[in-house]
Amino acid sequence: MKIITWFGILTLDDSGKVVEWDMLSKDTGALAERLVQPKETNMAIPPAGFDLRTAAIECGFVGSTGEYNTLLRDVSIRAAKKQISGGTPDMGIIQAVEALDDIDDAANSLSERLAEWYGMYFPEVGLSSEPLARFVAKYGSRSNVSPDDRLYEKATSSMGAELTGLDEELVRGFAENICTLYDSRSRIEEYLIKSMETTAPNLVNIAGALIGARLVSMAGGLEKLARFPSSTIQVIGANRALFKHLRARAPSPKHGIIFNHPQIKNSPWWQRGKIARALAAKISLAVRMDVYSGNGLNESLKTELDAKIESIKAAHPKPPKRESKGGSVKGKGRSQNKQQNNKSGGRR
Amino acid sequence: MSTKEVSSGIFEITERGGKQLATINLVPGASVYGEKLVEIEGCEYRIWNPKRSKLAAMMIKKFNIPIERDSKVLYLGAASGTTVSHVSDIVSEGIVYAVEFSPRTMRDLIGLCDVRPNIIPILADANRPQAYAHIVEEVDVIFQDVAQPNQSEIAAVNAKQFLKKDGHLLLSIKARSIDTVANPKNVFKEEVKKLEHEFDVGFEILDSRELMPFHEDHLGVMARVRK
Ligand SMILES: C[S@@+](CC[C@H](N)C(=O)[O-])C[C@H]1O[C@@H](n2cnc3c(N)ncnc32)[C@H](O)[C@@H]1O
Repeated sequence: MKIITWFGILTLDDSGKVVEWDMLSKDTGALAERLVQPKETNMAIPPAGFDLRTAAIECGFVGSTGEYNTLLRDVSIRAAKKQISGGTPDMGIIQAVEALDDIDDAANSLSERLAEWYGMYFPEVGLSSEPLARFVAKYGSRSNVSPDDRLYEKATSSMGAELTGLDEELVRGFAENICTLYDSRSRIEEYLIKSMETTAPNLVNIAGALIGARLVSMAGGLEKLARFPSSTIQVIGANRALFKHLRARAPSPKHGIIFNHPQIKNSPWWQRGKIARALAAKISLAVRMDVYSGNGLNESLKTELDAKIESIKAAHPKPPKRESKGGSVKGKGRSQNKQQNNKSGGRR
Repeated sequence: MSTKEVSSGIFEITERGGKQLATINLVPGASVYGEKLVEIEGCEYRIWNPKRSKLAAMMIKKFNIPIERDSKVLYLGAASGTTVSHVSDIVSEGIVYAVEFSPRTMRDLIGLCDVRPNIIPILADANRPQAYAHIVEEVDVIFQDVAQPNQSEIAAVNAKQFLKKDGHLLLSIKARSIDTVANPKNVFKEEVKKLEHEFDVGFEILDSRELMPFHEDHLGVMARVRK
């Protein structure tokens, strides 16, 4: 059996004795490099109880146990320094979030093109975006749709033109490319979830990995996010919505991206502002824990948040009464004022 | 002022009736995290506050700390090295493998390793001993303070790979990281039971005591592996 150690590759016989060895050179830099990223990732680790130190001495890698300590210490310090200097994980998260947005933009406009293009041949398909791309990549012409596909009926009775030859090849290739984009998108999402879970476990627990990643990205890093007051966290992302609003007449943005959080989205409108405020406050605490305490996951934040949300829901079960209709213009003005006062009062 | 060695490398300093734990400073002149340095008969001691260290609290709670001058220690959850620095004092002729998975905290830990000869820093997740099995040798003691919900599993997989036969595990169990709402006493009972029965390394619990009043809702556990 071949095993990997920090000083070289050893071959062990069945009794666990070293019978062959391939030592690395005693160069601290090179050893540190290998310590972080062993090349032989598929090789076995030393069996439990294996005596690394004695092996290193017996194979002539070091002359004494003192030398073993000194060299291992130098190498591991160097390796650890290397690991923490090479871009912090939150920088990777920022890039990944931006890549997601780029992919979405690209995939959207390509999918629109595909819908229009394929519409010539199968106008009744009734699919768009990813499902459409997958469908076209799978079948190409609607004459290939298999009888067990739920679109089979529509495909056979379609009024669209025949899709054949070079046209079919092109449309299908185009759809395949779009599928590749969607594949890449889900890989990036998986990466984000993993990376967020190790980098900011408390933030993930409160906000969810993807919303958390967006917050980190928009703040420009985890440490920066930790310095934001919770009132800012509540509206992070609203600017983006604002541009969209100006460009595309989307509804005007009152809310940051935390409004995508299921606990807000699934609550009635009159509770949302209050829940958002509670959520933002806990997010702020969670991020600070992740950055400054290093204690790993602290479940109590989530428990407290859930309790807080419960109490908000219990205290405001019904929509607030609007001021009676048909009042004078003056009356309306007053009620608006009152609302605004309430809002700003509550934020402070 | 007088000193008494209460465990290998661990001292009790008596001064005007008050008692304090301390270790002999391996790097004289340097205070690691702001702890007080006192010189007695030409020897510099670093005061060791049980409120800042589970291991010091275990010492005061009369655990029979199994760490010797030449011990090899695997320390899981090293953080910035507050306790690690005292372990490094204690094992003046041994070695400490200090595992920590937060890069930010690792920055401080490396600063400590730079000035001390016997700490090996390892940036890794203690859930995956295979990620550092090519570095860490067989050890006499595992000390673990990771505040994770799966603390016992982490202890078991590491003991299995690294702890020598009859080696000792010192474990700090934080009730709130396992269950935020349950009564800590029940959580402790469950965890100890789990340690005793669920893992094939064969933990034999030698001692377990709460670390009050120094650390609320923390249980110190000492076990031996029969393997
Ligand atoms: C309570 S602190 C330890 C304090 C330290 N023992 C002392 O007394 O100085 C817990 C540490 O464990 C680290 N940690 C948590 N889970 C870990 C894991 N799975 N692997 C490695 N380190 C972990 C945290 O990053 C944190 O620094």
